[in-house]
Amino acid sequence: MRDFEYVRADSLQQALDGARAENARFIAGGTLLVDLLRLDVERPARLVDINGLDWKDVEDDGAGLRIGALVDNTKLADHPRVRERYRVLAQALQSGASPQIRNMASVGGNLLQRTRCSYFRDVGVSACNKRNPGSGCAAREGFSRMHAVLGVSEHCIAAHPSDMAVALVALDATLEVEGPNGSRRLPLRELYTLPGDRPEIETVLAASELISHVRVPEAPPRSAYVKVRDRASYAFALVSAAVALDIEGGRVRSARVALGGVGTKPWHAPEVEAALVGQAPERAAFEAAAERALEGAVATPHNAFKLKLARRALVAAFERALEAA
Amino acid sequence: MLGFARGHRAPAPAELGRLRRELRGLGAALLLFAPDTVLSLGADDELELAPDDGGLDRLAFEQLVPAAARRELRRAALTLLIVDADGNVTWHGQARRCDDPMSTLLVGLSAASRELCEQPLSKRGITRRELLGSLAAALALALGEGCRPDQPAREATPKPPPEAKGPNTSRVRLTINGQRHELELEPRVSLLDTLRERLGLTGTKKGCDHGQCGACTVLIDGRRVNACLTLAVMVRGEVTTIEGLAGGDALHPMQQAFVEEDALQCGYCTPGQIMSAVGLLREKRADDAATIREYMSGNICRCGAYPNIVSAIVKARRAGA
Repeated sequence: MRDFEYVRADSLQQALDGARAENARFIAGGTLLVDLLRLDVERPARLVDINGLDWKDVEDDGAGLRIGALVDNTKLADHPRVRERYRVLAQALQSGASPQIRNMASVGGNLLQRTRCSYFRDVGVSACNKRNPGSGCAAREGFSRMHAVLGVSEHCIAAHPSDMAVALVALDATLEVEGPNGSRRLPLRELYTLPGDRPEIETVLAASELISHVRVPEAPPRSAYVKVRDRASYAFALVSAAVALDIEGGRVRSARVALGGVGTKPWHAPEVEAALVGQAPERAAFEAAAERALEGAVATPHNAFKLKLARRALVAAFERALEAA
Repeated sequence: MLGFARGHRAPAPAELGRLRRELRGLGAALLLFAPDTVLSLGADDELELAPDDGGLDRLAFEQLVPAAARRELRRAALTLLIVDADGNVTWHGQARRCDDPMSTLLVGLSAASRELCEQPLSKRGITRRELLGSLAAALALALGEGCRPDQPAREATPKPPPEAKGPNTSRVRLTINGQRHELELEPRVSLLDTLRERLGLTGTKKGCDHGQCGACTVLIDGRRVNACLTLAVMVRGEVTTIEGLAGGDALHPMQQAFVEEDALQCGYCTPGQIMSAVGLLREKRADDAATIREYMSGNICRCGAYPNIVSAIVKARRAGA
């Protein structure tokens, strides 16, 4: 691992000042960043440790949750209010990583985690436009079983790995962001950028900006997260589905739907949501709505299985959400 | 423990057993230099004998024995020294010549045991691993000199080069198993490497070094984390490693359960499994086998000892661990 400078910030001002240095990166849980440092993918000159900041509470003000960006994944998944009212979020968190990593990983860091594309992580050999702009994309011609089918470009097909972010995109969370020019609010659905011809850019955040809190509006009680993976636990999603249903008088009043494992970002599926509104919450309606997902998908021979699998995961998620009421 | 003998003979099996018992009691490994032989032995290690034709005997003596003591010590048939992990001599003693060199060694070790048995284990000596590590420099030097016969012998053996420290090195305070440590560390050093390479706490294992296997699991303030993904400079809480679980000779209930349920084969993942299991019981969610399996999924066992690991955790939970 290359050497770097380390500074610890105990206040927002110290964090922002610390990040003024050339090539500085914030570090919270470190579960992904330390890994990428060791792989030589990330090469910061300075790490600014923000664990001294007090963004560590989960509050519920009646209109929804306000989650500190430094709340660890275990604490959020175990929070009584989250387990009770935001099942899709609790399930997504619990399906991610391992207990050890969830104890370390922060909510803000989870949102900003980087792809698990094996070519992105392979500094020695592989071409990767995300890691080394202009070098090409080894995944397009390589093993792409884990890669994305939505939002891809000829320059990058890396999938976003987060489970939690999929649930939060479905629930239409909003970020509170701090930066040198003050605070701003940012809908989570607008955080991530598509790779296009600039796959090295992944979010609309500036390097000097920090997510301080995540606000989650009140969620319908019927919600579920279904994750399909190669082994029963501790694996990244092949596909996943986060759904929440608001049902009144035997009809779907509104639906919230997002997909994981298939997109270059956590994938919001408004066409599926629209297809469900007014329908009776039954398997036929779920299957019809799921057909609307993945429109415009571009698959490789290795990952074409994800199209059908993702639709099936969606139907399963709707049915589990109904059971959850 | 370092020894310098005037002569040497290979131990008979019975003598080897006695040597091991004395070393186990001392909690130290022995590296014995006779003029023509180097003997290395730990309580649980294979005996290793190597010819000393590179002057290691002299080099080690000059490097490790304080100058003032050398003349006096050299007269004895056997000199024994306890060296700590930093290379400081913390105890030395001598033995008179007996009938033969092996008897001298056994008598000397036995006397050392009697004298040192009151001291805590940590004061008694260093492990074989550390001993060999600290002598690697002396060995390299001896080989180097052997290759350059024309060079005049050096007056004094230089110390091994200090560990490389970059400009970002800082003083790091860690509390590990209740003991405080202050170390000079680069920020890029992981907690795992600090435990293993700097503090000699090699119970915590390095498997993948990428947070994928769980072999490095330790507790920080009672919560399980991957030490390989933790930068030591960032640690603020109290660290508990596998070495900190047992109370003296009494195993922690989880360790006892792993023994009783035969919850391991090769054993490499076991410290991580045990620390993770202790963390799991603290989380109070080890309700049934399925939950235990899910919440132990961060610890991989390539031997496939999973069924017995689950049994051990169930047993430890019932025992109120």
